Amino acid sequence: MKKPFHFLSVAILLSLVLSACAPSASPTPSAAGGTVVIRAGTGDGGDGLTPHQQIIQNFEDKNPNVIVQLEPVSGRDYYARLLTQLSAKAAPDIMQVGDDAVPSFVTKNAFVPLDTYLKNSNFDASIYLPGLLEPGKVNGKQYLLPKDYSPLAVYYNQKLFDAASVPYPLDGWTWDDLLATAQKLTVKDSSGKVTQWGIQLPAAWTTGFEYWVAAAGGSLISRDGKRFAGAMDSPEVARAVQFYADLYGKYQVAPQPADMNAFGGGNSEFANGKAAMMLFGRWPQSGFKKNPNITLGVVAPPKDKVRANVLFWGGFGIATSSKDPDTAFKYLSYVSGEPGAQVWKDWALPAVKSVADSSGLSKDPIEGVWIGELNYLAPRAYTFTPYWNETADPALRKVLESVILDPKADVKVLLAQAAKDAQAALDKLGK
Amino acid sequence: MRSLRRKEALSFYVTISPWLVGFLAFTAGPVLISLLASFTNWDLLTDPVWVGLDNYRDLATDPLFIQSIKVTLTYTAAYVPLDLAGGLLLALLVRPRLKGMGVFRTIFYLPTVFSGVAFVVVWLWMLNPNGGLINLALGWFGITGPRWLLDPKYALWALVMMSFWGWGRSMALYLGGMQSIPGELYEAAAMDGAGSLRQFFAVTLPLLSPTIFFNLVLSVIATFQSFTSAFVATNGGPLDSTLFLVLYIYRQAFEFFHMGYAAALAWVLFALVLVLTLLLMRSQKFWVFYLGERSE
Repeated sequence: MKKPFHFLSVAILLSLVLSACAPSASPTPSAAGGTVVIRAGTGDGGDGLTPHQQIIQNFEDKNPNVIVQLEPVSGRDYYARLLTQLSAKAAPDIMQVGDDAVPSFVTKNAFVPLDTYLKNSNFDASIYLPGLLEPGKVNGKQYLLPKDYSPLAVYYNQKLFDAASVPYPLDGWTWDDLLATAQKLTVKDSSGKVTQWGIQLPAAWTTGFEYWVAAAGGSLISRDGKRFAGAMDSPEVARAVQFYADLYGKYQVAPQPADMNAFGGGNSEFANGKAAMMLFGRWPQSGFKKNPNITLGVVAPPKDKVRANVLFWGGFGIATSSKDPDTAFKYLSYVSGEPGAQVWKDWALPAVKSVADSSGLSKDPIEGVWIGELNYLAPRAYTFTPYWNETADPALRKVLESVILDPKADVKVLLAQAAKDAQAALDKLGK
Repeated sequence: MRSLRRKEALSFYVTISPWLVGFLAFTAGPVLISLLASFTNWDLLTDPVWVGLDNYRDLATDPLFIQSIKVTLTYTAAYVPLDLAGGLLLALLVRPRLKGMGVFRTIFYLPTVFSGVAFVVVWLWMLNPNGGLINLALGWFGITGPRWLLDPKYALWALVMMSFWGWGRSMALYLGGMQSIPGELYEAAAMDGAGSLRQFFAVTLPLLSPTIFFNLVLSVIATFQSFTSAFVATNGGPLDSTLFLVLYIYRQAFEFFHMGYAAALAWVLFALVLVLTLLLMRSQKFWVFYLGERSE
């Protein structure tokens, strides 16, 4: 009685161990019947997956021998996952990556340069609206093609402007106009408590803040990407930080951030009809259009010394680990080309000019503002050094957090310290 | 006889092999690799470059590493005593075998079962400076509450406050410890004229010391590994006031992809926890009693 039990348990354990060692069933690149499987990785999630699926459906209808398998990973782990997959040579054939991650992925040799593919397939790269190819370029070579994008703009709630009989902001307005308008629209009750704010600002959002720096005529890093002294601590940057801080502290026309850690400060005043304006990207726009508290208007961000804007961008490229880069390019040129843009246009700003024009978006009173801003783009700071995110970004964030938390903080001292910290971090990494 | 022994040995290894293989492949292996990685510069994709002790040398001049050690030690110093005392207090409250006491035990224990992220999100609502439950309640007494997670002076203390929800775990351990104290001791103490306060200090506390010790070690290790609350609620901010060491390791490894530096940080964390735990073990002989005897 004892023996068979003994034998059985050993057999079960052995089979368990062996089955654990067997290679798991993973999708093979080429399935039966000559069909090819292309894997497409994206950091989008939820509703954002619908356009991907729609485009894949259209593509598969036209190319019956290709199956595109969408692999969404939303949240902060997306890049970590991509890099792990890349180092295991198991990355998706097509990878979606955001603007400031492009140089670091490319220097890690993750993407295939597209130039020969573009030439051989006669892909017309001039179909895009201005400025949309640049974020996918590193050292003059094209690695990614655009998916979607957004510059910054100022949303305004016409209801609150009408109630206060303040004229709507006009294209070409200045920082002084912004301050004056915001002051007119900030309302206090008898106890001095603010009941309506002039403008909702995106807190310590460093990349968004690059607009203010560019508009003041400044730059956060030297053109050669090596020095912060003379750039981050320059009078232009100091003016931008001081003006931004004063909107919060001195003039009190902007509500304090609700959640310093949330993207854009986590404020809900504009959505609740408690703030007249809001500076941000296009992402929450469809919600604002449906919001009963808001009659929406959009205007370009005000200029200071310079009229400037910054671009936020996502694109697709082909992984170096792809076993079938030719088929991957076929899908890439579809999803990033005109057929893809026909679908994106219902979800985001389309990158292809003909689609933006034919759908009437370029002339639309709201969408036209976003698209028009592509003519005023200043280069983002990350394009000057691949180490931006781990050196200067934390230093700048510290400055912004400090001035928002403490209205009396000395901007010049903070910026000098930030330039020093960023330089020390950069020197350590660049050595 | 020998063959029987060999058979037994064989079946022993076969039987523990699932654990052994798992341990070697998924624990010991990665630990060894992380030690090697800590002597390299490695970004996951390109080949690691051997840099010797450079990563460890860089630690000494890294202001964020020093800040993260400060934050972690402050949190440990605040959390551990509160957890030990709070858990004990709860255990004493729910100890009497009264009708319905099970409900209270369950209620106090429940938060420790919830997922870390879910409970941090609930706390985020409560701590919201505008209209959050806590500042609303303070407002009833005419107190303007601080901006909690948005204020570098309060953020870490807000995280300490969040951790009160973990008291249920130590409460359960204390309850178990209390139940193993022989009732005769209380009878004898009562006969000698000891009141309930005296009984607590002369009987309960000394006989509970092994449980207290166990809780102490667990809490110290847990606080050194704290990550979730700061990761979800503050991401280390504002102004790095909640930058725990593990959060900093995560940032270096999975946001900046400095795997070598992150591995060096992780080994420093390991050394710190090891030294602290050994010190606590050593301290046992001064204050921990096992069934009436001092431990050796």
